[in-house]
Amino acid sequence: MILKPRFSSYALTRAPSRRETCSGFTRTSMVAAAATAAMGKSRRSSKKSDRLEQEIAENPAANGDVEEASGRDEESQPSDAASLSEDESSQGSPVDSEEENGGVNGDEDHRSGEESDSSEEEVPSRNTIGDVPLEWYKDEEHIGYDVAGKKIKKQARKDRIESFLAGVDDAKNWRKIYDEYNDEEVELTKEEVKIISRMLKGKTPHAGVDPYAPYVDWFVWDDKGHPLSNAPEPKRRFVPSKWEQKKVVQYVRAIRKGLIKFDKPKEEPRVYLLWGDDSSAAENKRHGLSYIPAPKPKLAGHEESYNPSVEYIPTQEEINSYQLMYEEDRPKFIPRRFESLRSVPAYEKALKENFDRCLDLYLCPRTRKKRINIDPESLKPKLPSRKDLRPYPRTCYLEYRGHTGPVKTISIDISGQWMASGSSDGTVRVWEIETSRCLRVWNVGEAIKHISWNPLPELPVLAISAGHDVLILDTGLGNAEEQARIKELLHVEESKPEEDGGSTPVVSWVQDDKYDCIRLKHLKAVTTVEWHRKGDYFTTVVPSGDSRAILIHQLSKKHTQNPFKKLHGLPVSAVFHPTRSIFFISTKKNIRVYDLLKQKLVKKLETGVREISSIAIHPGGDNVIVGSKDGKMCWFDMDLSSKSYKTLKAHPKDITNVAFHRSYPLFASCSDDCTAYVFHGMVYSDLNQNPLIVPLEILRGHTSSDGRGVLDCKFHPRQPWLFTAGADSIIKLYCH
Amino acid sequence: MDFGVAGGAGGSEEAARRVRVRFTTKLGPPLRVPSAPLAVPSNLTRMGLSEIVNLLLENASAEHETQPFDFLIDGELVRLPLEEFLLAKGITAEKVLEIEYIKAVAPRKQQDPCLHDDWVSSVDGSNPSYILTGCYDGIARLWKGGAACTHVLVGHSGAITSAHIINGKDESENRFHIATGSKDRTLRLWKFDDAEHLEHPVNIREYKILQGHTSSVQSISSDPSGDMICSGSWDGSIKLWDVKNSEVQGDTVSIKKRKLVSDTANHVESQLEGVAASTLVGHLQSVSSVVWPERETIYSASWDHSVRQWDVQTGQETWNMACGKVLNCLDIGGESSALIAAGGSDPVLRIWDPRKPGTLAPVFQFSSHSSWISACKWHCKSWFHLLSASYDGKVMLWDLRTAWPLAITDSHKEKVLCADWWKNDSVISGGADSKLLICSGVSIQ
Repeated sequence: MILKPRFSSYALTRAPSRRETCSGFTRTSMVAAAATAAMGKSRRSSKKSDRLEQEIAENPAANGDVEEASGRDEESQPSDAASLSEDESSQGSPVDSEEENGGVNGDEDHRSGEESDSSEEEVPSRNTIGDVPLEWYKDEEHIGYDVAGKKIKKQARKDRIESFLAGVDDAKNWRKIYDEYNDEEVELTKEEVKIISRMLKGKTPHAGVDPYAPYVDWFVWDDKGHPLSNAPEPKRRFVPSKWEQKKVVQYVRAIRKGLIKFDKPKEEPRVYLLWGDDSSAAENKRHGLSYIPAPKPKLAGHEESYNPSVEYIPTQEEINSYQLMYEEDRPKFIPRRFESLRSVPAYEKALKENFDRCLDLYLCPRTRKKRINIDPESLKPKLPSRKDLRPYPRTCYLEYRGHTGPVKTISIDISGQWMASGSSDGTVRVWEIETSRCLRVWNVGEAIKHISWNPLPELPVLAISAGHDVLILDTGLGNAEEQARIKELLHVEESKPEEDGGSTPVVSWVQDDKYDCIRLKHLKAVTTVEWHRKGDYFTTVVPSGDSRAILIHQLSKKHTQNPFKKLHGLPVSAVFHPTRSIFFISTKKNIRVYDLLKQKLVKKLETGVREISSIAIHPGGDNVIVGSKDGKMCWFDMDLSSKSYKTLKAHPKDITNVAFHRSYPLFASCSDDCTAYVFHGMVYSDLNQNPLIVPLEILRGHTSSDGRGVLDCKFHPRQPWLFTAGADSIIKLYCH
Repeated sequence: MDFGVAGGAGGSEEAARRVRVRFTTKLGPPLRVPSAPLAVPSNLTRMGLSEIVNLLLENASAEHETQPFDFLIDGELVRLPLEEFLLAKGITAEKVLEIEYIKAVAPRKQQDPCLHDDWVSSVDGSNPSYILTGCYDGIARLWKGGAACTHVLVGHSGAITSAHIINGKDESENRFHIATGSKDRTLRLWKFDDAEHLEHPVNIREYKILQGHTSSVQSISSDPSGDMICSGSWDGSIKLWDVKNSEVQGDTVSIKKRKLVSDTANHVESQLEGVAASTLVGHLQSVSSVVWPERETIYSASWDHSVRQWDVQTGQETWNMACGKVLNCLDIGGESSALIAAGGSDPVLRIWDPRKPGTLAPVFQFSSHSSWISACKWHCKSWFHLLSASYDGKVMLWDLRTAWPLAITDSHKEKVLCADWWKNDSVISGGADSKLLICSGVSIQ
């Protein structure tokens, strides 16, 4: 056969290497095979497998090409048979019998594997010649020596035909390999065939081996606390390095020479925040200039579109209504519709706005204005609401008409039933407050300056100052008994003035027959007459009277005193304290407070106003309000200081009079600007609490006449009502 | 039936809006209209509705005389166009609207004014044949039938503030007593007899002077039986005086006393002096008005902003209400004679219900006046009607069912100081123009 020489030569050439591999386990495939097969068996099988390997490589369809294979195997057949017999004799039949069954039953196959393992452990290699060229035994009778040192005889070679026939009969012939070393025939098991075929495909020999098994890091990397070297730190570690020192010196010199610079120029960011907030820009500050951010323009909306929706387009009426608005309130942009962007005209205000912008830049103030951002509302004092301070006079319901000249002065009867008024037309009228009916008229003849009811309810007597005289007038409003007493009181013996005549009487008390009253004749014009609270004393002020300017009269004794000889300034008015024996004299600049019992000056109130026009004492007696001709009103708390507690600048024109209410916490001022102001003036009995002053109401209604407005105001003694006397000859009553 | 034209609403678009109404009434049969529902234009005013009703009545009977009507929907008088009224009250126009009509309350004619010498400060119309007026010249006058002054009551030395006819039960119709109060601090009692009527005005002298007030007397009221009178004064006291027994107790001692006190007492013939039976003290200021509606209770209003109720038996104050304003007038009436109407130093006429618990807020406020209110009087028959007089020269008629005045009389040129009902169908008022005005023909059922 053609194959024979080739095969033999092949087998010969390969034999040594085969032995080498088997003994040295150099080839991995053999290692893998050995892992599963028995050592001895593997040697046998390895040769077989090699051969098979070659066979398969030559003809992949091994099974199909039976003839060729059998032809090839003819040579090895005798040895196979011999080895088989030997195997049978030495190792016993189980292996073979199992191998025969192996193809039939997998389970048995597995079991045979196990058994073969154990048998291989026992069975050593037959031949013990070692790794020597088998050629040496080529011509010998034996192939080597067994463990006991006995020669192993070569088996008788099978005839070719014999072996072919054996091969034809044996279905497993294709996997029988002749082992030249041991001079026997080895039959490969199925596993071995599988291993071989896997190895030929380049896979791992065993299917159970996972070449990519997850890596398990068995090494413990933690420091075990024990250095590799336990040697102490060498000294050099503590000695400064000379090299380093040299390097440092080098650097120091370089720095001194200025070769090394530390502040590197900062890189300017090449990008900036396009949508960042300009106003907070801190970098704007370092430019030195005070940076004023431009106001943020509103982002454009739909209405700025060239073709906005219909709802953004104002109607013609709306456009017309813009014309009625103020320039600032008018919308800057009126949406319009255009068919196409092409038809949008040029911006007509472009030139103007450019010019305005230039003006802005040119005229922009370069200094920043320090502006304190305080809500002006928070600076206002917290005052109670006017509603809570009711009642106070608000509306005029009643008017008292009858005078023909400006009503200079009014006075209200202590019971609140009657009012007396004096006018420049020379008449004194008494009115019924309830119905505004004029009860009586006295024509005095001279312009009335001041009028005052006696504070005693049982003594309805009026003190009237008109020209140089003061009249004590019986109103006739008392009942019969009172009338009789008044008549008695108002009777002056004619002899009296004659007695005083020698020593230049200051005032002469004269009986006036016309109205059945007393007339006190002064030397100069009298402006004010005020009663003491007990209704017996009254004081008159003669501004041009020099040392006799302030006089105090006693009605019951018809006697006149002049306690204030020396006055500092021109007197304006004089008032008694409502409860104590204290007397207030107001001159044009300030107010002097005298104690009448001790006859000395108690206090001097400095108003700081241009000219005092009027004064009113709080019914408690510790607070004074002063009205001035420059429209200011000063509130003095006499316990607090001699300076004014509060100055109210309310009226644009002269204040003509001020008044306190007897029981309600109200005070008022009237002025030539035809208004009267009503204030809430609460005085607390607690000395630590300052008076509360709240402006309540401006009462209007009077008309100006000859430059004068409201000439007098008085509160009703019991109701929160205010009477005002106007230069328009009307007296008005403002009710709550 | 369709009354599109009747309302005077010619507009085509207005004609579309219609309300279905049914007219009902409590009036007598000649003034009844068929109760079939009608469709009327919704913009009809009171006048339009009145025209419709008159038209319906004319259709029913030819001899019907056209007269104004007033219309009530849900107990409220219609004062707006029907549409607005329904909208304001939230009444649906879907259903048939029930409208009750009543005769319009307004004075139909005005008699010639009775001229006085001075301001008329007080008027009393409680007697159907005579009107009593008090005047600032200190004279009280009696006007027979509201036309001629038949009796003059002379005696007061000050202006009369209050005059009152005391209708005693036992006395015949034209024999009655009169009480007057004056600013001369006295009350005077007068006896009146119709029999001695002559051509010229008869002077009557008082038969009794009641002294005791220390200030002017502001108001007088009498016990329903006529036995007692009470008076409020500026001095803040209310005094009760016995009238019934005063004739019997001839007090000669007081005449002597009076002689001693005043030497001008030269007419002492029939004059007696009386003193107060009791005094009710409590008001701090002038008592401007007193009312004595029941035997046991007196109501008083004062300038100290309070209304007080007094028990006559004990003389104690039983109820007190502060209203914040000076009060000038007070009257008790209305629903079961329990409502208090008062006016004062502001243009608002207020009505309180003292039975309402927990609150002192007025139940009604009428503020059409423009100045102080000087007088207010309830109608003695109706629960709804009252009148008010003000210093703005107007007398107003009010119905509690609407906030607008029913009628305004502004014939007075000056302040109106007093007003009263007379014969239940006339309004009499006196004022600072020295006139007594009589507006008659007020029809209140």
